[in-house]
Amino acid sequence: MNAKMCALALLLTLIGCKADDFQKLEPRNWQLTWSDEFNGAAGALPDPDKWTFDLGTGNGGWGNQELQSYTNSPDNVSMDGQGNLVITARRAGNAFTSARIKTQGLFEQKYGRFEARLKTPYGPGLWPAFWLLGANISSVGWPQCGEIDIMELRGQEPHIVHGSLHGPGYSAGNAITKKYALLNGRFDADYHVYAVEWDANKIDFFVDDFLYQRVERSKVPGEWVYDAPFFLIFNVAVGGTFVGFPTAQTPFPQRMIIDYVRVYQEAK
Amino acid sequence: MNTNVCYTSRLYLALAWCWLWLLFSACEREVEGLESPAYPSNPEVFIDGFSPGLNYAAFGGSVLTAFDVDREVTYNGSAASMRFEVPDVNDPRGAYAGGTYYTTVGRDLSGYNALTFWARASQPANIDVVGFGNDLGESRHQVTISGLPVNTNWKKYIIPIPDPSKLKAERGMFFYSEGPENEKGYTFWIDEVKFEKLGTLAHPRYLILNGQDQTETSFIGITKTIGGLKSVFNLPVGVDQEVTVAPAYFDFSSSDPSIATVDESGRVTVRGGPGTARITARVGGAVATGSLTIQSAGNFQAAPRPTRPVANVISVFSDVYPNVPVDYYNGYWAPYQTTQSADFTVDGDNVLHYTNFNFVGIQFTSPTINASSMTHLHVDVFIPNTLPANARFKIEMVHFGTPNITGAFTTIITAVQSRQWVSLDIPLVSFAGLSNRSNLAQIIFVDDSNNIDSFYADNIYLYNAGTPPSAPTTPAPTPTHPAANVISVFSDAYTNIAGTNLNPNWGQATVVTQVSIQGNNTLRYGGLNYQGIQLGSNQNVSGMQFLHLDFWSATSTSLKVFLISPGPLETPFILTVPTNGWSSVNIPLSAFVPPVNLSNVFQLKFEGNGDIFLDNIYFFRN
Repeated sequence: MNAKMCALALLLTLIGCKADDFQKLEPRNWQLTWSDEFNGAAGALPDPDKWTFDLGTGNGGWGNQELQSYTNSPDNVSMDGQGNLVITARRAGNAFTSARIKTQGLFEQKYGRFEARLKTPYGPGLWPAFWLLGANISSVGWPQCGEIDIMELRGQEPHIVHGSLHGPGYSAGNAITKKYALLNGRFDADYHVYAVEWDANKIDFFVDDFLYQRVERSKVPGEWVYDAPFFLIFNVAVGGTFVGFPTAQTPFPQRMIIDYVRVYQEAK
Repeated sequence: MNTNVCYTSRLYLALAWCWLWLLFSACEREVEGLESPAYPSNPEVFIDGFSPGLNYAAFGGSVLTAFDVDREVTYNGSAASMRFEVPDVNDPRGAYAGGTYYTTVGRDLSGYNALTFWARASQPANIDVVGFGNDLGESRHQVTISGLPVNTNWKKYIIPIPDPSKLKAERGMFFYSEGPENEKGYTFWIDEVKFEKLGTLAHPRYLILNGQDQTETSFIGITKTIGGLKSVFNLPVGVDQEVTVAPAYFDFSSSDPSIATVDESGRVTVRGGPGTARITARVGGAVATGSLTIQSAGNFQAAPRPTRPVANVISVFSDVYPNVPVDYYNGYWAPYQTTQSADFTVDGDNVLHYTNFNFVGIQFTSPTINASSMTHLHVDVFIPNTLPANARFKIEMVHFGTPNITGAFTTIITAVQSRQWVSLDIPLVSFAGLSNRSNLAQIIFVDDSNNIDSFYADNIYLYNAGTPPSAPTTPAPTPTHPAANVISVFSDAYTNIAGTNLNPNWGQATVVTQVSIQGNNTLRYGGLNYQGIQLGSNQNVSGMQFLHLDFWSATSTSLKVFLISPGPLETPFILTVPTNGWSSVNIPLSAFVPPVNLSNVFQLKFEGNGDIFLDNIYFFRN
């Protein structure tokens, strides 16, 4: 990890000066297929034509021993009236509430570019995520359906984001994953754009249009399950196996502030 | 220590240099021609030794040799670290370890946003104070962390700079102060002390009055300094770090300077009124949380001027009497006292002002006060803010001896008595437990109900009220109601109900006598607990309007009178005692209804304590 970090640092240093010399990606003709700019009135819930909720504590803390209970209350998920959707994790004693919204049954797409511009929450035990799940999850189950994690972050490391793939034979602790770190900055301090570009042969992971991970179909250590429609999810979890427990020092409430989410399909 | 960590860290260091070099060589060519800064911007304080221009001075009362350069225990195997030996309690060399690292010529630190260092200790401990900005002078830009937790592992610590733009010529590079832990000394080490520009600090917040919005009633001429100045930054690990900040980082302002002004140190002075002014602050462009709203009531209202003869007074705080020598009017008793002092003077009248009150002690030991011949403590108290509910104001007096003897008295200050002077005259015998007052050394005020935010105090003195007379020297006033309108129980002025028993045996302890005062027959109840009067015949007093009583007592603290119908049907009426001479009262008979049946009254009863004199007990109508 240390060597990788150093190499990454050198790369960043170089692009800081001469971005043009680095990352020559093939030009794509992306056409917008679906988006939400979150321009609703302050306090409004997400557009019901685009989003539904996961509610409650799921099965075993959504499979990860997470502590929060998800609600559809504006206290936990609502527009800020300034062009953002805010998901707020709150502490009440030893109990936590938060929100998880998804496009399941409303919008699903195979391949394309999925991107969101957002500021993460922070603090030990906070676990925000922007991710995709295979729409066939109810018939084939997880991880057979496939999962594409475009952005995950541990609140105690607000300078590191993770991009991951979970599929049959490579899920949970054995997922395909890579970190992207800011050398002297944090993902909760400013907006960043998180994206994947996904086609039949590969999935590319980006932060601010910097490609930091490419997973090719032939390199997946199991079945490639990414030739079917996926739906989108945003959530802020508290606690859980990925991130650990919040501490008495974790500041609450914590907010994930999402400026927009956009989905594109490549026009051939 | 793990060699791998060591390696990595050095690699980072090398990388950082590489990065800097690239920046300067490749991207930042156009920096030529910048003016050289007026002050050096060297970020290093102590890496492997004193940085250029750095000096050390130990604080007064500390162990002067507590600090030394250590070449054995160092962070990351570097050449040297700073070692601090905290003394045991009662170490003859000094009570604590403390000192400051400062430069003779200031440094321009405005390009950095934190002081960072690595630290470890020989045992888990909390270092009382670490910070920067202590220049052994005004220390205008001092920033401190209190109670910094350290343990036996090296750990990096970060002290955020609230507003780096203020540090153009800073001389205070680092300071510390630490006393024994559980009375025992120990050792801690600090290394790699330097200023840095961290992109990993986020979400700065600034607070005055600890972020509270406070409202305070005040008067022209009164000052108050805004405290609770803090800033909070989120550290790279996602937790908040609060630091205590000097006023110079804040820009204070008043919404109405004609009512109250505020200076750069946060000192608020009330200038006019009645009116309201809100004091707020900013740091850089950011608005600080918290405010002070001054509700000026206009001109100050002084406490009532004492009138006791000076010969009968021992004064602790007054402008009328000579005061005894006082050690302090606020002992700032650590660690639980929160009370601050904001004493003020208006037109030559000095007033004690205790703010953020929980308890506060006044001490006078040179000499102590022999109050054996005194009878009362007087204190004037003014609570400037509206009380949310009645307050229990407790006063303790301490006699120094072996052991010390503390007496306590608690009085109620009702909500409606806030915002006005309340004069307390407390008999010294009322201080429960004060069995000896020959060597008084302390007076302590306590907010027993936890709702008195602040108060003014004036005219704190002990006095001798003189020996109270044991009996009235003059008879009760002669009644003037026409006899036709009166049914009399006990009076020389009227014909009394025949056959009345003034001392029926109801099992009472009261000693009943009749005494003649200048020829006037007067009823005396000695050592009252309760006492009845059995009327000679049942009376219909429904045509009467009042029960008249004359009563006198120098010693009673409780007295009630009951009117009784057969049943018995009775209810008390409270009489105010002790009296100042004879008290006359006309009690509306409606005060006894219900339950008393006024058409059939046959007894009266008194309950209470002390020695009571009674006269002219009769019913009348106008």
